Amino acid sequence: MTTQLSPVWQRRPASSDRLARISARFLSDTPDTADNADSCRTIPFLLDNPGQSWVTHDLCRVLGQRGHKAVLCHLDEPWNSQQRDLSGEPGTRTEGSQYCLLPVTSLETVRAARFDHLVLLVPASLSAVRTAYRRIKALSEEPRPEIGIVVVGPRDQHAAWRYFRKLAVGSLRYLDMPLLNLGFLPEDVTPEHGPVNHHRKNFLARISERLVRSGFYLSATDRSAQG
Amino acid sequence: MKLCIETAEPCDGEELRTLLIDAAEQLLGAGNALLEAKLPWDGHPILFADASGHPVLISFDPEQGQSALLNGLRTSEQLASALPWINQVYEALAGRQLPVRLVVVSRDYPPGSRAILSACPLLTLFRYRILNINGETGLWLERMDDASDTPRHDDASDTPRPEPQPALECAPEPDGGSTPPAPGAALPSLSDEETAFFQQL
Repeated sequence: MTTQLSPVWQRRPASSDRLARISARFLSDTPDTADNADSCRTIPFLLDNPGQSWVTHDLCRVLGQRGHKAVLCHLDEPWNSQQRDLSGEPGTRTEGSQYCLLPVTSLETVRAARFDHLVLLVPASLSAVRTAYRRIKALSEEPRPEIGIVVVGPRDQHAAWRYFRKLAVGSLRYLDMPLLNLGFLPEDVTPEHGPVNHHRKNFLARISERLVRSGFYLSATDRSAQG
Repeated sequence: MKLCIETAEPCDGEELRTLLIDAAEQLLGAGNALLEAKLPWDGHPILFADASGHPVLISFDPEQGQSALLNGLRTSEQLASALPWINQVYEALAGRQLPVRLVVVSRDYPPGSRAILSACPLLTLFRYRILNINGETGLWLERMDDASDTPRHDDASDTPRPEPQPALECAPEPDGGSTPPAPGAALPSLSDEETAFFQQL
């Protein structure tokens, strides 16, 4: 008896190639060496709107509280479509920091900088999921970045999962792009809470841990190979 | 001329259908187009296109608001899943793949309607009365406004109501409810399959 999956869950034929690429990447992964352990790792965030800047601000603070010294950097936006060297962008501000969080709001900036990792902040609504998908689609041309998702403002964990699943299934099905679930910030976690609020800190801590543990930051070659 | 207005006997479903089609401008605003006068689903709702190209389903029941709402929701779901096909069939929709708006008309608002209304921006609820105006049968429509605590009673006449715009304004744009992208950052459009996939969670 043959079993048929819903078309949504069927991968495109090319996915076997992608699996091979992923396997190769894991096999060639090496732990941090002294060379790159000292360098500052840049984590770019694409915000849905400027009002989400509190997320990166608080994540930066939580990373620091958890022993990962972090600094928040800003780029002059919008960039034009010309590729641009990122290697000197954060400048001397990052010295002594392990992580540099880089919030941007323009898709053009992401394209011009050719980030190989990107965290997308996605508001918890169907229309925002659709917008996020279109942004991912715009980034799906080579070179494809690895994209992590943080859902902002769902009612609870189940709602967050539904929004992430919708986006992840769509991206995998139509763009052959897997997404990484980095967590969520529920609707009762708001900027008004203040960064010392425990409830808020717990959710931010989970996201920061996933970022650190999954090594979700720009590779060194990416930051110096532009231009 | 003396204007004599009095309530009339309740009408049956087919008579109400005719009155609703005649009152389409009050329900949907100017520029609407009738697509199907009697869809072959429960309650046999009416399908219109509004001026902006949304498919609009009018589900009604002479007495039971609950039936009208449930039938409407069921049919909306079926229409939403067939949106690409519907856009191909009806030229008035201009192939814009806009989500289905639902208009429910019944003698009284369905139970729990205020809570439902606040959660469904594409839903509009009306209650109706049949009036006899100088011997002519007329339809009085009263829209439930989710912004106020009590329904309005100030327009109980055969004067056309203001166009029901709020539901239209709440309808999500193709870009979604999030902040529009910055100029110059044009986002790619979605295919029919993608549009249908992201129509609902």
